Amino acid sequence: MRPEVCALKILVTVKLVPDTNADKRIDPATKRLVRTGVETVLNPFDEYAIEAALQLKEKLNDGSTVTIVSMTPASGKEIVRKALAMGADDAVMISDDTLAGCDLWGTSVALAAAIKQQNADLVIAGTQSTDAISGDLPGMLAEKLGIPGLTYARTIEVADGRVRVQRETDNGYMTISAPLPALVSVTKSANEPRYASLKGIMGAKKKEIKQLAAADLALTVAVGTDGAKAKLINLATPPVRGKGRVVTAADGDDGAKQIVDFLKERKFL
Amino acid sequence: MAIQNVIAFVEHKHGAVRRVSLEAATQARALAERLGGKVHAVIVGPGAGSAAETLKKYPVDQIHVSEEDRFLDGAVDALESVAKGAGNALVLVGNTMLGRDIGARFAARIDCGVNADVVDFTTDGAVAAIMPKLGGLVITTCAFEGDFGVAAIRPNVFTAKETSGAGEIVQLASNGKASTITVEDEVEEAAAELGVEEASVVVSGGRGMGGPEPFTTILHELAEAFGGAVGASRAAVDAGWVSHGHQVGQTGKTVSPPLYIAVGISGAIQHKVGMRTSETIVAINKDANAPIADFADLLVVGDAFAIVPALTNLVRDAKAAHA
Ligand SMILES: Cc1cc2nc3c(=O)[nH]c(=O)nc-3n(C[C@H](O)[C@H](O)[C@H](O)COP(=O)(O)OP(=O)(O)OC[C@H]3O[C@@H](n4cnc5c(N)ncnc54)[C@H](O)[C@@H]3O)c2cc1C
Ligand SMILES: Nc1ncnc2c1ncn2[C@@H]1O[C@H](COP(=O)(O)O)[C@@H](O)[C@H]1O
Repeated sequence: MRPEVCALKILVTVKLVPDTNADKRIDPATKRLVRTGVETVLNPFDEYAIEAALQLKEKLNDGSTVTIVSMTPASGKEIVRKALAMGADDAVMISDDTLAGCDLWGTSVALAAAIKQQNADLVIAGTQSTDAISGDLPGMLAEKLGIPGLTYARTIEVADGRVRVQRETDNGYMTISAPLPALVSVTKSANEPRYASLKGIMGAKKKEIKQLAAADLALTVAVGTDGAKAKLINLATPPVRGKGRVVTAADGDDGAKQIVDFLKERKFL
Repeated sequence: MAIQNVIAFVEHKHGAVRRVSLEAATQARALAERLGGKVHAVIVGPGAGSAAETLKKYPVDQIHVSEEDRFLDGAVDALESVAKGAGNALVLVGNTMLGRDIGARFAARIDCGVNADVVDFTTDGAVAAIMPKLGGLVITTCAFEGDFGVAAIRPNVFTAKETSGAGEIVQLASNGKASTITVEDEVEEAAAELGVEEASVVVSGGRGMGGPEPFTTILHELAEAFGGAVGASRAAVDAGWVSHGHQVGQTGKTVSPPLYIAVGISGAIQHKVGMRTSETIVAINKDANAPIADFADLLVVGDAFAIVPALTNLVRDAKAAHA
């Protein structure tokens, strides 16, 4: 934090994921997900993170800025542009062949190194990604950055050098706060992400996307496939769930009876 | 060296232990036996002492306890000290909001691999975790390199089993640090019901429910008859009929109960990826051609409002006959 200036530098981490509607392909040789091509989209959860950052910037209205950070193959540029079109100011992309095959740990190391260079006051992440569904990275980043990590936030407020959020719990929420700099991950209940306007889309073409390679991160440990702490050793396809029985209920009682008979057959009752 | 010891991180609320943590403790023993190590449990926060009494009924060698209340940091610090003390360890946490949060931080702290939503393990060679990815499209196996690792286990997959043989209780010393995060208040908005990830029967409602009432009446009653939980499609959540915590699917929770009942849900791909690994899927839908017909084990074509209450009665009768 730079106490002499009030404006915040807000960073939003975004990830490229395969579109659920599209056919996901695994490269049989590398056993990695093919992330190039048209079927990749901005991780839906990250749209909530971007929206939360933009709303905060607009509310503060003090010259605070929003920077997008993404570790993605160079082909992810179009998706980063989408984030810029929504209203972010600029972006940093970390792309390098040696970073391919990073496990969660490797991703946290590389991403944290890139984020540190940015001197951000607030880092906002999505709760999880739709491909990995780990939801681990926000907590890992906070730990690697050595800053408080306020996860599962459905509201964010910044005042007097502190960030305060409502953290969702299994059956309610808790209000937690911490001094800046800090990291927050936002849930889907946080907001309704905006669509990029035509003006936003045009403007995004002129915004800066800074490219970083692995060498720019000055990492002291090996990441990528070779450095992975969780090593992928096998990929298998689960049996396909086929079409089952379809019956028509004459009325409510008949429908209920058919279900109960089936459940008895399967020993549920 | 390789991983031999297993640590179960125990989630509890004022001493009441979450079921997935007992599943973790039981699975920890099974793994430690194959790996040739010891089993530890780590319990922190107010009520840890009474939670430790519950853990004594599970196959744990040492139960490390701290009543200190330091949000998130307390648990990560405790895991770090127990893991380092053991020399090597696989940490099992529940694949729950808190479990993943703590496990992730521990992994970053100690520089180890982390795998989420684990449904099985292999122990030939280095211990490896097996988990579905891409919404159940592929099953991956990831081996832990090095001396430590974290696996967030999917609730309801491993069984919790009481065994005689009390673990030794070890009090964790305070490290005197303050938490960086201040907890200002905690609000319970709903009764602490069983979450959809943990329930063995999930009864989910979709847009076909037409409004919020069925979620607290007919669906709730059916779920209750089974001792299960109420889930929902995103359409129902977005309409404000039921809270987000109940949502199943790509932007909600991933569940794989023995029995999943989809009521008035079409079965869109984003819903499917959150429930397709359920053992048995039953659907009730007006439309015989809804996409869910392609992957439900049984689709009953008819009006949910007529079928569900009748079904609840029959389930209650069947359960009563067994009791
Ligand atoms: C990025 C993204 C993420 C998403 N994430 C999720 C997610 O996590 N979870 C999720 O569920 N969806 C998700 N969706 C939305 C998904 O695409 C579908 O829109 C949603 O699942 C549809 O919900 P539904 O089945 O309840 O509604 P509909 O598709 O409208 O289906 C309603 C069904 O109810 C039946 N019906 C109506 N009345 C009755 C009656 N009286 N009795 C019996 N049947 C009746 C109808 O025949 C119909 O099949 C996501 C979409 C996107 C784009
Ligand atoms: N490669 C990446 N680059 C930037 N941000 C990422 C990356 N991977 C994950 N994230 C962020 O971390 C969140 C959680 O991702 P995950 O832990 O992979 O489920 C996402 O919503 C993103 O905000």
